[in-house]
Parts: sequence; C-alpha cells; structure tokens
Amino acid sequence: MSDPALAQPLPGQRATLRSRWLAYALAIAVIVILPFVFTDTYWRTNLTVCAINVLLAIGLDFILGYAGQLNLGHSAFYGLGAYVSTLLIVKLGIPFWIAFVAGVAFAGIAGTFLSLFAVRLRGHYLAIASLGFAVIVHQILLNWISLTQGPLGIYGIAPPPAIIIGGVVIADFRNLAAFFYLVAGFAFLSYILLNQLVRSPIGETLTAIREDEVSAASLGINGAAWKVFAFGVGSAVAGAAGCFYASFVGTLVPDAFFVSEAFNILAMVIVGGMGTLIGPVFGAILLTVLPEVLRGFGDLRLVVYGAALTFVVLFMPGGLAQAARVVAEKLGLRRSA
Amino acid sequence: MTTTIVLQQAINGVVLGSLYVLVALGLTLIYGVLVQINFAHADFVTLGAFAAYFFMHLVGGGYILSIAVAFAVGAALGWLINAAIFTPLRRKGNELLPLIATIGVSVMMQNLMLAWFGPIPYAFETQYSSEVIRFAGIFVSWQSVIIIIVSILTIALLYAFMKFTFLGKALRAVAQDRETAGLMGINPNYLIMLTFVIASALAGMGGAMLAPVLVLTPFAGTSVIVKAFAIVIIGGFGNVEGTILAGLIVGLIESYTTQFLDPGLIDIVVFALLLVMLAIKPTGLISERREENV
Repeated sequence: MSDPALAQPLPGQRATLRSRWLAYALAIAVIVILPFVFTDTYWRTNLTVCAINVLLAIGLDFILGYAGQLNLGHSAFYGLGAYVSTLLIVKLGIPFWIAFVAGVAFAGIAGTFLSLFAVRLRGHYLAIASLGFAVIVHQILLNWISLTQGPLGIYGIAPPPAIIIGGVVIADFRNLAAFFYLVAGFAFLSYILLNQLVRSPIGETLTAIREDEVSAASLGINGAAWKVFAFGVGSAVAGAAGCFYASFVGTLVPDAFFVSEAFNILAMVIVGGMGTLIGPVFGAILLTVLPEVLRGFGDLRLVVYGAALTFVVLFMPGGLAQAARVVAEKLGLRRSA
Repeated sequence: MTTTIVLQQAINGVVLGSLYVLVALGLTLIYGVLVQINFAHADFVTLGAFAAYFFMHLVGGGYILSIAVAFAVGAALGWLINAAIFTPLRRKGNELLPLIATIGVSVMMQNLMLAWFGPIPYAFETQYSSEVIRFAGIFVSWQSVIIIIVSILTIALLYAFMKFTFLGKALRAVAQDRETAGLMGINPNYLIMLTFVIASALAGMGGAMLAPVLVLTPFAGTSVIVKAFAIVIIGGFGNVEGTILAGLIVGLIESYTTQFLDPGLIDIVVFALLLVMLAIKPTGLISERREENV
C-alpha cells in the first residue's frame, strides 16, 4: 500500500458507501413509522406477513440470484424452521429463543445437506431434486401424525416471551406492532448481512461461479463448497422466517408449506429482480399486498402470482430492479451503465 | 390369497404406470428436443381431465370420444405454450428462464381453474368403471382394459412415428443437433412446435384416463407431475425406453405401497428413489449421451 491513492476509497466508492448508509437509515425510519400509519389489526397483520416474506425472498435470492441455483423447494426450509422450533417449544418446553436458534440451524443444516448431495447436479436436475425434497418434507409433516398431528395441525402456539428489563416491559409480542418490529428488525439485519456478503469477495466468488464454473475453478475457486455455503445460508434465513411465522400465526398446518408456497416465494424474487437484494424486498412486499388489495376478486386474485411470474420473465427478466433502473435512466437521475 | 393380492396389485400398478408413462413421455420428448422443461405439463393433464368431464356431462358424449377431446385440448395447449413462452424465450438463451415462466403459467392455470371449477372434487365416473372382469380371483375393470389398450396403442404409434416416418427421423435429428439439422433443410421451429403438440396431447389424454383415479380438483395435476418428474429422472431424461420402464416401476411402487405400507407414503417412497437415483446414477436407468446437466 505504498500508493496512498490506493488506500483511500475512490470518490465514487465513498459516495456509494454514504448513500448506502443513508438508505439503511431511511429503511429504519420506514420500519419505525409503518405501524403508526397502519393502525388497524388487518393491515398490521399484513405488515408482519410482508416482513416474513421479505426474509423468505432474500434467502431464496441469495441461492438463486447470486449462486445461480434454481431452488424450487424453499418452502421445505421454511416449514422445517417452523415445525422444529414449535415442536421444541410445545413438546419439550424449551424457551423460544433457544428453539428459534435450533429451528434456524436445522433448516440451514437441511439446506446444506440437500445441496451437498445435489452439488453434482445443475440446472434442471437441481430444480427437480429440490422440488422432490419439498414434496417429501410436506408429506412427512402430513403423515408423521404422532409428532406433527398431521393435517389437524398444532394450535395455540404462543408468541415470543415479552422482553422485560428491570420490571419494565420493553416489548410485548402479543402487540402486533411489537411483533412487526421484531420480524422487520430481523429481516433488516439479515438484509444488511447478506448485502455485506454479496459485496464482499465472497459475493464476487459466487457470481464468478454462477457465470462460469469451469473458469472459476481454473482460478482455484472451489465452486461446490461455495454453492453449498450459499444454499445453507439461504435456507437458514428461510428457517428463521418459519420460526416467526409459527409464533405469529399461532397455528401450524403442513399445507402452509406446500410446494406452491415455494413458487410464491420464487415469484417474489423474480418479480423483484433476481441477483439484486433490494429487488426481492420490493417483490415480496408487492406480492403480499397486491393479493390483499384484490380480495374482492375471490380466488381469481391468486392468478396474480402466476401472471406476474410469467410476464416478468417474458418482458422484464430483471424485474422491478430493472424497471427502476430504466426509469432512473430515463429521468436522467443515473448514468446508464 | 397373498399371491392373488400381489397379482392384483401388479395389474393395478401397470394400469397406473402406463398412464404415468403417457404423461412422462411428453416431458421427456420436449427435453430430448429442446433440453427444456414445461412445468405447466401437469395442468394440461388436469385440463384434459376437465375437458373430458365437461364433454361427457355438458355435451353428453361417450367416454372413448372424450379421450379424443382431451387429446385435442392438450394439443392446442401445447401449441399455445410453445408459441407464447418457449419461442420468445429461446432467443434469450437462458436455460432456466422458460422453466420459471412455465411455473408462472402453471400457477395461473391452477388458480383460473380454481375460480371457474371450484375446489370441490369432481366425481369422474364412466360406464366402464363398474363393469368388472373376474379371472382367477383377480378383478379387472373395463376401465383398466381401455387404459391399457389405449396406452399401448398410443406408445406403439409414437414409437413407429419416431422410427419410420420422415418427420420422426427429422425430430430425432433436431434432438441430436439442431443446427446441423437446420442445415439439412429441416425446419427446427416447425419440429419443436410439433413436439410440443404431441407431448401435450399425450398429457391431455392421460388426464382423461387418470381422472377416474385422481381426486379431480384444479390441483390434481400437481401430484401427477411430481411423479412424472421422478419418472423421467429415474428413467434417464430424454430417453423414451427408460421413461417407459421407470413409469411402470413407479406405478408398481405406488400400488404395492398402497397395499402393504400406507398410501400416505407413496410420494415419500417415489422421491426417496429419485434422490437415491440422483446420488448414484444421475443419468438414469438408461442414460442418454447428454451430460450437461450432471
């Protein structure tokens, strides 16, 4: 580092760094304000559902958009997180946060296991293997009645215990706003973590593997190990979403983790723009809110997921992220890349 | 007694298996020519079943004719999905985008069917379901006999078409090397369209024959497609003989699991077999000289 110019961040870099922190601050402000804007139970519930879906979408995007692995079984890791944490709490009386860690770890390990096994597979084969895994997990949840109570489901799951410091209740998670802050805060932290990961050399490594694994291998990159890593991280995030889902809804039935849920998460990632982290955040929010707004259309509203997925792939494969770039360039807010 | 049960379930398994073969053959044909997966294939099965149902109940047609109607509906859907999804996306050259787009088509079709047909299962009965042949303690319904005859005829016709006609040869040529086939004066786009039409017609007609076995709801195809995926991978993706063999095996597994274990375990057993196959021999029972996915 003899050249001082190299040690200093370039002016452009410094600007992006500053704008990134500015964006983070803005995101915190939005999260804090949202429950004050939406005060009724219905929309506050949707806020938390949005936050859970954001977690699911960024986890899948890390696997699909960055490591280039088409995982059609994301619902399995979501379900494993939910069931493992809940069963630990309900059957063994383990405290919520320990069960939470166990649920996240279990989902992450399951993802690692699946991808270790599927690491020889690419493209379509991995897609079908992960779909098969999701079908098996769903069927096990449905048929292992002595453990999961099968289709009858588990009822009356308690929310996380209130945080009480020195006799003062800091956060009572029976309150919808508090629950939203919990999940949104966790989603925000996960986002920052994943964002730092993809901007680090690890992210560049993953992109190199996604673009051309053989060339990456010729540079000494162990493609298999990094793909397993990405799969494990992405499924652990889905496991966290599952833990929150169970304690938020209070009820667990296997059908909540049917493969169609994996397709909904896929739609969020694709509509938002895979390979960008911010895109799937907005994809998740859009595809959670839109079907609620369209409730008047009955079952027809669920067509939105499929239609959005198909039309985005056909006409704007970069999703909302690409659309935002195009609009910004048109308005001259940003130089074209 | 036990021998009778084993034989009885063997027949049931072969009947079911030959239907899975019809559905899986479509997937494997498309994969063989295009190295692509049409995820909405399952919903062509469902829509074929509904087409047959409404043809019988609204038009008052016979069951055999309703299979032909389902065939035609499947063919039309195959033409449509090729024109709307696969042709425009082929230019982008991304191997996963068409799969993702057809997942969208599948979700769309299922929810449209849900809005129109409702979630309550339709009772699909034919006059052949209750007519039974008894033979040495074994029961075979005429429905099963029709399924076996139609499936064998269809598969034989398809085989003869691929082997002996000019179009069939051209199809195999396109599957082997699209560019060179194009240089030989074969129009690959026309043949790809033809493949989609044939493959989807098989799915539609498979639906009409599966309908009495399935719980006919808008989501009926999903349970079939996951098994069809298992079959094409176990058999070797893109390989016709392997698909037929694997289809019959999965049919037999299903009938024996139902008899001796628990019907709830069918998918678990089939997919465990799929995952084991992927771990040991990802190219399938009969491997095609095609290695790019493994």
